[in-house]
Amino acid sequence: MRVAAFLPELLRHLFKKPATVDYPFKKLEVPANFRGTPYLRPELCIVCRACERDCPAEAIEIMAVNEAEKRFRMVIHNDRCIHCAQCVDSCPTTPKAMQIDSLYELAADDRHKLKKDWVYVRAVMKPKPAAPAKEPAPES
Amino acid sequence: MSFQIPIGPQHPALKEPISLRMTVDGEVITDADIRLGYNHRGLEKLAEEKTWVQNIYLTERICGICSHSHATCYVQAVEKLMEIMPPRRGLYIRYLVSELERVHSHLLWLGVAGHEAGFDSFFMYTWRDREIVMDLLEMISGNRVHYAMNTIGGVRRDIDEGQKAKILEGVVTLRKRSEYYFGIGANEPSFVARIAGVGMLTKQQAIDLCAVGPVARASGVARDVRKEDPYAVYDELDFNVCTSDSCDVLGRVVVRVMELLQSYNMIEQMVKGLPDGDIVVKAPRKAKPGEALSRYEAPRGENVHYIKSNGTDKPERLKVRAPTLGNYPATMVMLKKGFIADIPLIFAAIDPCICCAERAVTLISARSGEESVVTMSDLRRQALDRSKNTPVKGKSVWPF
Amino acid sequence: MAVLRTFLYLLVYPGILFLFAYSTFSEWFDRKVYARLQNRMGPTHTGRFGLLQPIADFFKLLAKEDIVPEAADKGLFNVLPAISLAVVSTAALLLPLWNFDLAKPGLTSFSGDIIVMLYLLSLPTLILFLAAWSSTNLFSTIGGARVLTMLFGYEVPLFLAVLSPAILANSWRLAEIAAFYQAKPLLLLVNVLGFLVALIAVQAKLERTPFDIPDAETEIVGGTFTEYSGKKLALFRLTFDIELVVASGLLAAVFLGGFPGGVVLGLILFVVKTLFVIFLLSLIRALTSRIRIDQVVAFAWKILAPLAVLQLLATILLKGFLS
Repeated sequence: MRVAAFLPELLRHLFKKPATVDYPFKKLEVPANFRGTPYLRPELCIVCRACERDCPAEAIEIMAVNEAEKRFRMVIHNDRCIHCAQCVDSCPTTPKAMQIDSLYELAADDRHKLKKDWVYVRAVMKPKPAAPAKEPAPES
Repeated sequence: MSFQIPIGPQHPALKEPISLRMTVDGEVITDADIRLGYNHRGLEKLAEEKTWVQNIYLTERICGICSHSHATCYVQAVEKLMEIMPPRRGLYIRYLVSELERVHSHLLWLGVAGHEAGFDSFFMYTWRDREIVMDLLEMISGNRVHYAMNTIGGVRRDIDEGQKAKILEGVVTLRKRSEYYFGIGANEPSFVARIAGVGMLTKQQAIDLCAVGPVARASGVARDVRKEDPYAVYDELDFNVCTSDSCDVLGRVVVRVMELLQSYNMIEQMVKGLPDGDIVVKAPRKAKPGEALSRYEAPRGENVHYIKSNGTDKPERLKVRAPTLGNYPATMVMLKKGFIADIPLIFAAIDPCICCAERAVTLISARSGEESVVTMSDLRRQALDRSKNTPVKGKSVWPF
Repeated sequence: MAVLRTFLYLLVYPGILFLFAYSTFSEWFDRKVYARLQNRMGPTHTGRFGLLQPIADFFKLLAKEDIVPEAADKGLFNVLPAISLAVVSTAALLLPLWNFDLAKPGLTSFSGDIIVMLYLLSLPTLILFLAAWSSTNLFSTIGGARVLTMLFGYEVPLFLAVLSPAILANSWRLAEIAAFYQAKPLLLLVNVLGFLVALIAVQAKLERTPFDIPDAETEIVGGTFTEYSGKKLALFRLTFDIELVVASGLLAAVFLGGFPGGVVLGLILFVVKTLFVIFLLSLIRALTSRIRIDQVVAFAWKILAPLAVLQLLATILLKGFLS
């Protein structure tokens, strides 16, 4: 046992720069593959509903606006999203229609303001579909 | 003068709601009682409504600290059910994240122990260095807390050479810092005075009361699933089960710090010996009917998931036995004959994850204080009676 | 004119206004040093370098809802914060800052003021116990019992340690003790042991880590202050801030040679010396973990008290040798 065992460490840090960051004024960099907010690239979506089915938080909703025109509406409820990016993994198109960006400051004063929606016409699969990478085919 | 003090359900020493009723005589505890169920979330029932894939993320949210433990334990069981074997690279990455998580959990615990003892400098420094491993996890998985690395049949993200170098670099710093904190924790007189000889749990008691994890190991019981029943990659790794014979809170600190050092070794072994190949195999959407049980050594002790499948894409039953639940009986023994001042330390020393262990609620009549058990058929009957007797929604007046 | 002077003396300097400003500053200093020792930032945003943070906290608390428990002894519960503030502010007036004449004792500097000061510093502890007891909360009651138990531990070493320099200086008057050591600064070295004992005892008196047992939040929630809120809590916090200044001022006057040199130089010396003492107190706070109540009493009687007696013995022997 030593009295004041912590003393050298404490005194050494007295005039050092603090380890904490002055957050709202200075921001930390997020790593390259950070899982932020999901978004849709509507020109690529084939409305297979894989993301809707696999989303654990049921944050993705796809509705038909006009069946005849193949017009659909997708709503992402960011208030429910748990940022697991399963929708990105489930998306069968290449390049993926579901994407995730690195935005993390999502706070809003009303949960309905966090909703994001897209109205789009269903994309047609190219004649030579690149083999859907490592995605369990929807066979159910 | 004997009286009862309520620790919780809301108390600054507790990070989550639980109620400990201490009967104290002056400053000495004569009896302890524990009440659970304040944080019951009906998670097992919810799991029956979700698909195998969705449930990974649900089980991950059982706990915030050992999130990867629950997800891995679940995924292991599902892989047994589906009879698929993840590729070796995927397994290595999965258990690399496991060990990194153990490092972060134990460093967190060290800080919490310091805070509960009023040693806030220790708390601040350990948590500052815990940021290193948090950043590593964020770099690997893209998330800081719920890594979402597991998928059925492997992991979801690969790691590249740059990341490997960063992990090794971080581990070197962490090892140096952990050894330093070990020196502080074992040498600062006021801290040692608080933790030495506090919360005694003899070896025999630890065995009798089925203590798990670091609590059992600090009482000299070398109980570790990674060694006793090596799953996945653990039979290929070189590590020791750390034990201590001091049976008190100091022993639990020592065991955890030694485990940190073992984890650093394992991380280095796994990063250096990372095999090539795929990280994931394709998994079916449905599992065959059957049962599976999986065990996993979480930072807090043995974690058990039981799954029953009925052949659909959803589990019929998911049962979670979190390690904290196994340590509650031992805690009650540890608390007796202690001081009021020792309550937060002894309770924190089992590293309680309260909401992990909330698998049941007790029904206590508010009028008579009587406890009762309600069977499923009773519950059903009561629910039916209730819905029959309640007025139609439109006519009812608030408050009901 | 004399009346006006007295009023200025009471209200502005070194009375309540100066005390308020300086004690909030020392709280800021304490928090900042504590934070920097822990590699954190400390208060940053309110005012330059967060200087106004303690004042902002004070006014915020003043504006908060004030709840008095049903079962509490309401009269006592309400009046105690004001009394404790008054007591420590009175103690502050006795500090030998500038308004005294060495040759002629006055109202704020007289023979025996060191004893009065020590007793005025003991009173807040008793008031804390009463406050805790009158609020009838279980945690407060335990906190109150702990306050009194701790008082028995540190009070004797504190008195012995603070009074031994007075014995050497052959005076019971703070101003004269300070003047004695200003004349012979080398004699200050004799009292180093007493300074350390007094420093630890003051730490216990101010209920700071490792002696923050009466309001140990992880054990007994708010301890003595569990039921206090709003204005009353603000007053109690201010009491502790002022007590910090007064206690460090007392140590500076007795062990560090006082504050000579008139208004300006005296004030500068006062600030420098008290900040030095507060820095040491912050360092102790950062260095240790909270100990148990039985350990405090054992520590105080087995280590602190013998050391204080040793100091007293050394002082008496030296005095005999010098004369």
